[in-house]
Amino acid sequence: MNELDGLSLLAITLRTLALCGSSLVIALALGVPMGIWLGSRNFPGRRALLGLVNSGMGAPPVVVGLLVAQLFYRSGPLGDLELWYSTQAMVTAQVLIALPLVVALVVAAVASLDADWALQVRSLGIPPLWRHWLLLREIRLGLLAAVIAALGGILSEVGAVMQTGGNLEGETRVLTTAILMYTRMGLFESAYALAAVLLGLMLILAGLLTWVQYGEKR
Amino acid sequence: MSAPLSARGLRLVRESAVSRFELRIENLDVEAGRVLAILGANGAGKSTLLRALAGLEDPAEGRVLRGGEAAVTMVFQRPIALAGSVDHNVRIALRSRGLDPGAIDRRAEQALSHFGIADLAARAASGLSGGELRRLALARAFAIEPGVLLLDEPFDDLDAAAQESLSKDLRRTVAQTGVAVAVVTHDLRRAVLVCDRIAVLLGGGLRQVGPREEVLNRPVDLGVASLVGMTNLLPAEIGADGVARIAPGYAIPTADSSIRGSAWVGLRPEHLKVDIGRGEGVSIGTGEVVEHASDGILTTLGISWAGHHLRTHLVAGRGMARELVVGDAVSLAVRPEDVHTLPSDSPRE
Repeated sequence: MNELDGLSLLAITLRTLALCGSSLVIALALGVPMGIWLGSRNFPGRRALLGLVNSGMGAPPVVVGLLVAQLFYRSGPLGDLELWYSTQAMVTAQVLIALPLVVALVVAAVASLDADWALQVRSLGIPPLWRHWLLLREIRLGLLAAVIAALGGILSEVGAVMQTGGNLEGETRVLTTAILMYTRMGLFESAYALAAVLLGLMLILAGLLTWVQYGEKR
Repeated sequence: MSAPLSARGLRLVRESAVSRFELRIENLDVEAGRVLAILGANGAGKSTLLRALAGLEDPAEGRVLRGGEAAVTMVFQRPIALAGSVDHNVRIALRSRGLDPGAIDRRAEQALSHFGIADLAARAASGLSGGELRRLALARAFAIEPGVLLLDEPFDDLDAAAQESLSKDLRRTVAQTGVAVAVVTHDLRRAVLVCDRIAVLLGGGLRQVGPREEVLNRPVDLGVASLVGMTNLLPAEIGADGVARIAPGYAIPTADSSIRGSAWVGLRPEHLKVDIGRGEGVSIGTGEVVEHASDGILTTLGISWAGHHLRTHLVAGRGMARELVVGDAVSLAVRPEDVHTLPSDSPRE
């Protein structure tokens, strides 16, 4: 095995971004409505659901990876789909890791609104679609925090993507699994190059959050 | 013509782990071109009723009927600021209605200047003070040009000048547009200034509703009388001559012939006259000033008379030779038609 070349580094980075981006979009598409629903409704069992979401936030990714891997394993319940060691399996694991983070942060954002927020907007005769848009606008900082937390969680995750993707060259290799592999092989220069890219991405994320928050307070 | 908003056979229930609250409203109309003030003690269900009228709370029974297509909007006791500028807050409901940009501009600018916040238009609404936020909420509601406007404690957080201005705006808007208004307020004086009709919530129901003068001067029972400011309530024996005897040597003439024997006599503070020789009303003897409070415009006197504590209001410059002080003896007079009588078993709550 050779040191990492520039082309491979670019390919791994782009694949990482594509996978994480897809997982993030799916997690947001599922998590934001769930969070709004959980944050704004009062029904029997709500606390239990919130407890489940909070537990999900602390679930070890490697356990999530194990469950998803077993689901897609040849003899598993979804084995016929032949998705073991595929990007789809990796995305599934990443969505399950990100989803509780998105839901919990959206619930917190919605719960922080005035108790009469929805009623007051309704009383202005604003139609439902507009009301949803206004709500998203209102909780935009919470949404941003959810995006950053979810993306941070899945970008830096290694166990679950290794279990479900298998680190196949040109197919499922992403930044974290590649760093792990090059470290094991003692090719530290390559591992550091990958680590620098990963750190750069995380710093961009953190910078974005700070910039938006600062902009809000001005 | 049917009222733009009516409640029929309404039963509103609120339940929590520690309390249960129920309010019944058989018939209530919010009429076009009139202001209805909804009065009641804390926890009487005024805001709950307003929310039900606005269609924001489902009744356990009964219906809220709308007499037309005109919008019903409500300004809450603690208004929210939507994310964005003051201008955005006023325009958003107009935009969502698909109005043309010209109409949106006209209505938004009008509403902003009407409530004196045009210079704040570009400011973030989240940074407004309590009074500014109240004015924004009112501007937001008026810009919609609703058919029914429901206001929950609209005078809170406003300074005296802004309260005055809102009262005038309300009266003018009602006269110009024929909008139906219902106002919940704990400020009786302010309510009296703006309203045409009064609805009193008491004991889980609508105890009395009617024209302002009728409810203020002819409350149906002691509970309503206290709520509408008829604070002088005295137990009496009313003779066949219509004179209510309060104590030996102390009597009040009444013009009401419906009640005789044991009864209650009610007199609004402004109807208890301090006699300065103008011959206003019938003399009821002399009392002693035991309490004196003045804000420079209105003086409230506590007067001991026939062993009871009576209250009256005097407007500054009314023609007194000097400012009254505690200990002064004052001649008192009433007009028999101002004296209200209630049966002795009239409920207090």
